[in-house]
Amino acid sequence: MQQIREDILDFLRAQSFMDNDIHFDDNESLTKAGIIDSIGLLELLDYISESYSVEVPEDMLTPDNLDSVQGITNLIIKLKDERS
Amino acid sequence: MRIDSFVGKNAKEKPHQLALIDGEKTISYEHLDKNIDHIALSIREFGNCRFAVMAESGIQYVEMLLAVYRSDNIAIPLPIELAVLGLERILDTASIRNIIVTETQYSRFGKTFFNRFSTVILVNDDSSVDILRKVVVDEQNNPDLRLVLYTSGTTGTPKGVMLSDRNLVANAESIIEILGITSADKAALVFSPHHAFGNSIINSHLTVGGCVCIGSMNFMGSVFSMLESGMSMFYGVPSTYRLLLRYPEKFKSAFGNVRLAATAGGAIDNTIVNNLRDSNPDIRIMPMYGQTEATARLAYLPAHDVSEFYDTIGKAIPGVTLDVFDADNNPTETDITGELVARGENIMLGYLDNEYATEKKIIDGWMHTGDLAKKLSNGYFKLLGRKDDIIKIGDHRVNPRELEKYIEENTDVSGVFVVPVSHEILGNAISLMVMPNCNTDVDSVFSFCKRNLPGYLCPQEVLYIDHLPLSENGKICNRSIIEGYQSVKNSM
Repeated sequence: MQQIREDILDFLRAQSFMDNDIHFDDNESLTKAGIIDSIGLLELLDYISESYSVEVPEDMLTPDNLDSVQGITNLIIKLKDERS
Repeated sequence: MRIDSFVGKNAKEKPHQLALIDGEKTISYEHLDKNIDHIALSIREFGNCRFAVMAESGIQYVEMLLAVYRSDNIAIPLPIELAVLGLERILDTASIRNIIVTETQYSRFGKTFFNRFSTVILVNDDSSVDILRKVVVDEQNNPDLRLVLYTSGTTGTPKGVMLSDRNLVANAESIIEILGITSADKAALVFSPHHAFGNSIINSHLTVGGCVCIGSMNFMGSVFSMLESGMSMFYGVPSTYRLLLRYPEKFKSAFGNVRLAATAGGAIDNTIVNNLRDSNPDIRIMPMYGQTEATARLAYLPAHDVSEFYDTIGKAIPGVTLDVFDADNNPTETDITGELVARGENIMLGYLDNEYATEKKIIDGWMHTGDLAKKLSNGYFKLLGRKDDIIKIGDHRVNPRELEKYIEENTDVSGVFVVPVSHEILGNAISLMVMPNCNTDVDSVFSFCKRNLPGYLCPQEVLYIDHLPLSENGKICNRSIIEGYQSVKNSM
């Protein structure tokens, strides 16, 4: 879980204007904080499916699952569990 | 009438009718009107003063905007997606002393960002107001000015489009008429309300007492659930529909009960039209055309003509006159290319603090759109690219969009983009970027050009690309093509 969280943070740092040393809460809204937008989210989905070999179903494309580091981490764990 | 007075009228006539939905939050006309009053009260000492409105998309943004209207001041919504640098460029050119800001944006931008303002009004999540400081300074502004919308904030000098109450109401009324909006309609707004298109949706639906559901394109699952919750109208730019079409099955069920799908901000393509009709045979598809300088809308293509005339912008909306002028500002004949011009009550007062740009844009009462167009024999207008995109090669003036179309129609490719490149003798020459299909062959594209085009139009090179060179607004123009070309070159 910690590894997934770190990977997601690295992805966000690489993709966005996010400063390397910026501190934000794992539950903070990524879209409201301006860290990611709709195009960035598409790239995030591609990243998730490539890195973890899981597809995110349409119904799960919601703020609960994608708008925070915590939500994204939980989503990946859930999808990986369902697959195995 | 001001736009906010329609909200007041609706609050009296049908207080419990829903005005706005924003995720789990909803607000009736009665409450919206009260909140507007409450916020307006905090700035009532000002009159005809500029107020920056800094709020994320949502109910609060609408309340704050309409409160600035109601207090008889001038609203300047800040496009918050631009982040600090882009916003500072706007603030530097607009000389704004006062700001009204949400809690979220205040903490996002930080206290020091707001030091430049002498008045800072903070609107809390519960719509209560904290006056952080207030200094009333008289300003000399156009007495008719109500709203300033900024264009091209990311590149070039930002220009503030000055709109009056009359502009806003006239355009809202035209839009209501062409789309047949009623108080029973529920409209989905999934992009920023800070710009002309989003603003026009809010204005037209709140004027008739309908309901707007505010969302974003960030989370597709949420957009689909919003549509399925009973939206009767959906608005999007072409890329909005393309994003949703990544999920074709969901798209089909989501649009099943939508009565009208409207587009603006670029030409619609047949894939979008066909998918919408597949999901709902009775859906009305309404492509619209406009500019911020015209409040929002100028033209529309009636739904029954979408199949046949999808590559046109249709005709002028009620209250607007469109024409095509030649270089001497005389109307052209049918089928002759010139510049599209417009007049009507929706045409802006001018650019804020920029008379020079205003005089170039509005000449003898006609607003020059900067779009090349021709009149068709049925009275519709067809766009042929941006006037600024004309490339001068030697003494020839070349419209790259026409050349692209010619090559596309005669070679086996899925898309062609003409890139102006510098040339030792001619000044400019062209290169081509080609989106290949499985049969595309560079040599045959070259030989087609050699055989069929004058020498000065023969491409210097032909490069393959794998995605459209779109601008940040999802449009094709020389600038977006040149940027695409540079990134292809850099990666070679």
